[in-house]
Amino acid sequence: MTIRIWVIGIVFTIGTPAAPGPLQQYCHGCHNSKLKTAGLALDADPSEDQWEKVAHKLRTRSMPPAGLPRPDEHTYDNLAGSVEDRLDRAAAAHPNPGRTDTFRRLNRSEYQNAIRDLLAIDVDVAALLPADESSHGFDNITVGDLSPMLLERYVGAARKISRLALGTPVRSPGGETMTLPPDLTQEEHFEELPLGTRGGAIMQYTFPADAKYDFQIRLARDRNEQVEGLHATHQVELLLDGERVHLFTVKPPPGGDHSEVDRHLTIRIPVTAGPHAVAVTFPKLGAPLLETEREPWYAHFNMDRHPRITPALYSITVNGPYEQKGPGNTPSRRRVLVCTPSGPGDDDACAKRIFAVLTRRAYRRPVTGADLELPMKFYREAKRDDGFEAGIEMGLRSVLVNPEFLFRVENEPAGVAPGTAYRVTGLELASRLSFFLWSSIPDDELLNAAIAGKLHDLTVLDAQVRRMLADPRSKALVTNFAEQWLYLRNLDSAKPDMRLFTDFDDNLRRAFRTETEMFIESLMRADRSILDLFRANYTFVNERLARHYGIPNVFGSRFRRVTFDGDAERGGLLRQGSILTVTSYATRTSPVIRGKWVLANILGMPPPPPPPNVPALKEKVGSAKPMSMRERLAQHRANPACAGCHAPMDPIGFAFENYDAVGRWRTMEDGLPIDASGGLPDGSKFEGVAGLQKALLKRPDLFATTFTEKLLTYGLGRGVESYDAPAVRAIVREAAANDYRFSSFVVGIVNSVPFEMRRSQ
Amino acid sequence: MMITKKALPRRTLLRGIGGALALPLLDAMVPSMTALAATPANPVRRLGFVYIPMGSHITEWTPPCEGALTALSPALQSLAPVAEHVTVLTNMELKNAYPGTHATSNATFLSAATAKWTESSDYYLGTTVDQVAAKQLGRDTRLPSLELAMDLLTTVGQCDNGYACVYQNNLSWSSPTTPLPAEAHPRVVFERLFGDGGTPVERAAELRKSASLLDAMGESIARLQRKLGPGDRTKVGDYLDTVREVERRIQKAEQRTADSPLPDLERPVGVPAAYEDHAKLMFDLQVLAMQADVTRVMTFQLARETSNRSYPEINVSEPHHPLTHNGGDPEKLAKVGKINAFHVSLFAYFLEKMKATPDGDGSLLDHSLYLYGSGMGNPDIHDHVNLPILVAGGAAGRHKGGRHIRYADPAPLANLHLTLLDRAGVRVDRFADSQGPIQELL
Repeated sequence: MTIRIWVIGIVFTIGTPAAPGPLQQYCHGCHNSKLKTAGLALDADPSEDQWEKVAHKLRTRSMPPAGLPRPDEHTYDNLAGSVEDRLDRAAAAHPNPGRTDTFRRLNRSEYQNAIRDLLAIDVDVAALLPADESSHGFDNITVGDLSPMLLERYVGAARKISRLALGTPVRSPGGETMTLPPDLTQEEHFEELPLGTRGGAIMQYTFPADAKYDFQIRLARDRNEQVEGLHATHQVELLLDGERVHLFTVKPPPGGDHSEVDRHLTIRIPVTAGPHAVAVTFPKLGAPLLETEREPWYAHFNMDRHPRITPALYSITVNGPYEQKGPGNTPSRRRVLVCTPSGPGDDDACAKRIFAVLTRRAYRRPVTGADLELPMKFYREAKRDDGFEAGIEMGLRSVLVNPEFLFRVENEPAGVAPGTAYRVTGLELASRLSFFLWSSIPDDELLNAAIAGKLHDLTVLDAQVRRMLADPRSKALVTNFAEQWLYLRNLDSAKPDMRLFTDFDDNLRRAFRTETEMFIESLMRADRSILDLFRANYTFVNERLARHYGIPNVFGSRFRRVTFDGDAERGGLLRQGSILTVTSYATRTSPVIRGKWVLANILGMPPPPPPPNVPALKEKVGSAKPMSMRERLAQHRANPACAGCHAPMDPIGFAFENYDAVGRWRTMEDGLPIDASGGLPDGSKFEGVAGLQKALLKRPDLFATTFTEKLLTYGLGRGVESYDAPAVRAIVREAAANDYRFSSFVVGIVNSVPFEMRRSQ
Repeated sequence: MMITKKALPRRTLLRGIGGALALPLLDAMVPSMTALAATPANPVRRLGFVYIPMGSHITEWTPPCEGALTALSPALQSLAPVAEHVTVLTNMELKNAYPGTHATSNATFLSAATAKWTESSDYYLGTTVDQVAAKQLGRDTRLPSLELAMDLLTTVGQCDNGYACVYQNNLSWSSPTTPLPAEAHPRVVFERLFGDGGTPVERAAELRKSASLLDAMGESIARLQRKLGPGDRTKVGDYLDTVREVERRIQKAEQRTADSPLPDLERPVGVPAAYEDHAKLMFDLQVLAMQADVTRVMTFQLARETSNRSYPEINVSEPHHPLTHNGGDPEKLAKVGKINAFHVSLFAYFLEKMKATPDGDGSLLDHSLYLYGSGMGNPDIHDHVNLPILVAGGAAGRHKGGRHIRYADPAPLANLHLTLLDRAGVRVDRFADSQGPIQELL
């Protein structure tokens, strides 16, 4: 068994490294104790923090400034290497792991996943809890707050969830309505619905009891209250778990009054308790009518420009339960009720067993008799009035509002001197791991390993990490980490101008998201090099997206991998509609935003904030000839106040100009040919995205460092600071030796000083 | 439920689970509740704050004449029916919002404080004026204050210029380190105001359960606290305060359930697809909250800073934020003016509704005071002077409207905050960088 020994010590600053020659030659001219340019005097014992900045400037080649003599590549690397070497050695002797907050509330996604893993229920967390704040680009950083409003919501959520988990009889029927986005086109088949249908929707719904439920279907109407696309008789199909429940018929009303057209689309049927897939869709008509009336574009939702050809679903409502028969046999009841009392003699013992299992998972630690006192107290009170299960429900509620469930608490061991780096406990490490890889609580296997004290064994830890990465729950790294890192979450609020981008609809928005999610997940599952994000000659499309991209011979709603030859218009992350759209304005592309996106998320050189009183970008006012975006931005960069940041940003963005604001390929704009020549801050020049990718791949360490910093920020739940740089470098070095495979970053982070240790206050 | 661009009857908007909720039901319940809280001898004073992002097209905004508000500017036209209750204040500034950013425009608007420049969780601002008021006005109501917004989705990535997103998202701060998240989902707002429904007996039983759960939670937190170092103990002390505050609210709710049983209300279901319908529903909920006297202090962010929302309903298809960086392009400026006028028209809808709702010896509008405006002046250059600002409502006879006050030199917006607090009967000597109350407001 391999065990690492940590050198524990108090953190102090390193001494000045003897300034190597080139540093004097290229840097001291400005950064000396007389001039102190940017507050840096290299001859006056700079701090560790300042040395880290020096190393970063050298690595990214952003100093010396353009126009001044610069070292050659070899000297740059040597110089940076020698500075980093000193810093790394100092850090190895006196590690500074930083300090994650003592109290970290589960954020919304973590809460949802924890409920799933604890109780086997999928809840719609957006309806239960307020959104989380984002800092450093992620929503799991600013999680120390507990406002009265949030607490009220936790109490309310605990009530709703514990009732649902046990299937407690509901006094008054409730219901839920799913409304579809108004810009969802429903003329074609959706992947998750049966073949031979078009449009509609599917929703996962947890039915609280074995009972009867009302299903109510409404059709989309235009602003004159007319059901859209209702020109002939159509059928509407209601399905439960893929089986037809009922087939309705809708007809154009004789008098033209549409108010009652879909009034009869309602039915009351018995459903068993637990999760079921409720779907509504339309059998596809084989009529040639559709073909002849087909418009040149795909989007059909706007009554003026491109109206719906056939009726569309607007909402599904489930109301109930009525005539309740009982709580049924649901996954959540099976999960919670690990025993059944045979009578009043052993019901308390059974309750204790139930709460022992629940609290252990919920609090992520071994529990003692004292931990069971509170849930048992609530259990006994409620049992007295309403029986055993009511007691379990109330005890469960008390577990769900316990601070040890709602918060991750990392407390320093007693007797540790202030400012000391110490190892987190095995249990704390287990939670760090599961929230990092799964955005959820540890499972029994991980928890058992931690309780047995085995997580400090490197082989055990490594095996756990690989097991967890292979588990479907690691999809959280795509939906939580990658979607925030790449700004994919902003896709929902992307609303391209309808006049300019007539063919944009929610179907396309969904397809963009699916493409990038599948692309990233496939890379993660196959454990490929993260450089494949830029090297991949493939992507994932369905017919809708393929048409948008101009890729021939892709038919149907199913997404599949397509491969391209040579320098294609597609392939890789940077040519995906999702990224290209979230970095554009509603009416046009923004080379500035695209450039900034690459600098911040790929190269790790986020431009500083714009100064106050930014002069405005002159629009096309009064100029005789139309100016291209490139010309207008050039004017902008002529202002020295702007040039400092826009000189690195804009040229990167120009490389994307062959892609419009919704990611379509183009060679002309406003009658002028597209000029996609661009450049990087290190002075390299290139053409288009292909050129940009080659330039990025020349310095894989820069991207690997940025990727590590982002993943580490997310994994630790705190901002990455200069004292983390030695750890980041160690992770990147390890990953480089493994061809930058995805797992090598994850393993590197898990084994890093900031992940395994913490600094006392 | 079907939301269309046609004017929506309230019946449709508050459609409940099992069918439409008829408005008369609400009307029937309200007099009994208001009678308790707002007899003529004790006029309730309510304060409200409505935020619009990214300043204004100021020439379209500023009324042409000073003194009496005889003529309204293009952006303020829709206020005509309530102009006698409106005072426009021109040339106010927020010095502490510099360096000019969107984040500080929002954060400084009600705090007049300087936001600490940080992206981490060590953010620091100041207590906002609504929360100063809530500490006094909120003592007798179930919710000390209500925070509302329109944006359901939060933006990821960097927020603004290295400022943590909390500054841009939250208008209301109950302490320099406690932003109060706002709610944009009508059903969730409704549930905060009126609970899940059920009969009075069921609701009372639920409240007792929640109270005892909170009690237990407080004990668990206190137990944790004893194990912690001194630095973390303060944080846990804050959590305990939160628990106690929620306990207090539950007590209030229990009292109210006993005093004046609400009929079984039904909840609005989804979020209306059209911005205008959604905003009006959020204003309707504020009227309901006042009628039921659930709260007396409200803040409402009509849109977030740097919002890229476009307004096709008024033929503005370009997103708001880029439109404001227009370099003086008259076409774009005109569109900014249109957005400003549209936002004001939604506020005017609300004021008219308050005016039409009886409250004690007058109307809701008579007994309320609302501040409407932005923390940014000229959005093209991100400055914080010559802010679009107006005040509306009777404040129980303590605000005389129908006027336009123009300052020759920029006056601190904190002066207005100080004055609003004074009008609401909340005595403070100073608020942030205030120099003194605005006497002319009476």
